[in-house]
Amino acid sequence: MNVEDMNEGTSEFERHVRELLNDSVEHMPAAARSRLTQARYAALAARPFWQRSLVRHWAPAGAAAVLAVLLLVAPRGEHAVVSPLASAMPEDLELLADGDALQLSKDQDLDADFYEWAAGEAQGAPAPSLGT
Amino acid sequence: MQAFATLPSQTADLLPLGKARLRDTTQDGARALETFLAGVERKGFRIAQIALRHEADALDAVQDAMMQLAHRYAARPPQEWKPLFYRILENRIRDMQRRRIVRQRVMAWIPWQGEDDEGGDALEQAPDNAPQPAVQVESDEMMRALEQALSQLPGRQRQAFLLRNFEGLDVQETALAMKCSQGSVKTHYFRALQALRAKLGDFRP
Repeated sequence: MNVEDMNEGTSEFERHVRELLNDSVEHMPAAARSRLTQARYAALAARPFWQRSLVRHWAPAGAAAVLAVLLLVAPRGEHAVVSPLASAMPEDLELLADGDALQLSKDQDLDADFYEWAAGEAQGAPAPSLGT
Repeated sequence: MQAFATLPSQTADLLPLGKARLRDTTQDGARALETFLAGVERKGFRIAQIALRHEADALDAVQDAMMQLAHRYAARPPQEWKPLFYRILENRIRDMQRRRIVRQRVMAWIPWQGEDDEGGDALEQAPDNAPQPAVQVESDEMMRALEQALSQLPGRQRQAFLLRNFEGLDVQETALAMKCSQGSVKTHYFRALQALRAKLGDFRP
């Protein structure tokens, strides 16, 4: 007899063992039954709060409501507080990361007249004379 | 337009219904778990008692298993509860058996063991080979022999045999509870059956 044969049907021996074990459950002493009942109630009380209450049903709706409020209240338009980094263009960031750019900003202090002239040119204003 | 006019009152009627339904769902979940625990606690206790040969330890093991199931897995589908419960219970049984072995080693090593007044604790914690007074079966001798034979089986064989034969789990559920393949369950069961037959003979009433 192999494993498969023995697992297929239930023999007289197995049935008898099962009956004996079931009898022992039926005739369990009252003290043990009482203790098991207490343990069951303790286990039910040990369930997490969110499983015992209606909270678990309302939690997704609450989260959606909070998200909606955040989206509505979040500042938008001209008054929005936007991080300078978030609004920076990629080329600005490259400039910041570039070593030459740092040198440029230092030179800017030394050549203020030139940049004043350049700004005026860009705005279409008459350029101040550079002495020529 | 009249349809719109009646809408608020209809909604007002529906809201308490929905709330009541949600409360019912929560209560149904608790009721389902309670029914489940009430259905497995006695067999779980007997399985733990056979493995541990100690009533108080067996009750503790079952209580821990019920607590863990309720605390961690109550939200899982009810059809998964039984294999999960028996997996947790077996883990607790093994923990207790290991702790008992360590305690026995420590007690054997302590030189003043037996001279202390508290030596009674070791006796209380020792495996109880006598039949439990509470087990009032018709044939006590057979039950005692069966318990003895089952407790002497290797843990996996005993687990496979009791879950399949006594608790009535199918091979798949037993494999889930034992965290092994279905083939292993069949092998453990086969070996357990062979060992029990060898020890108990025909074992007829």
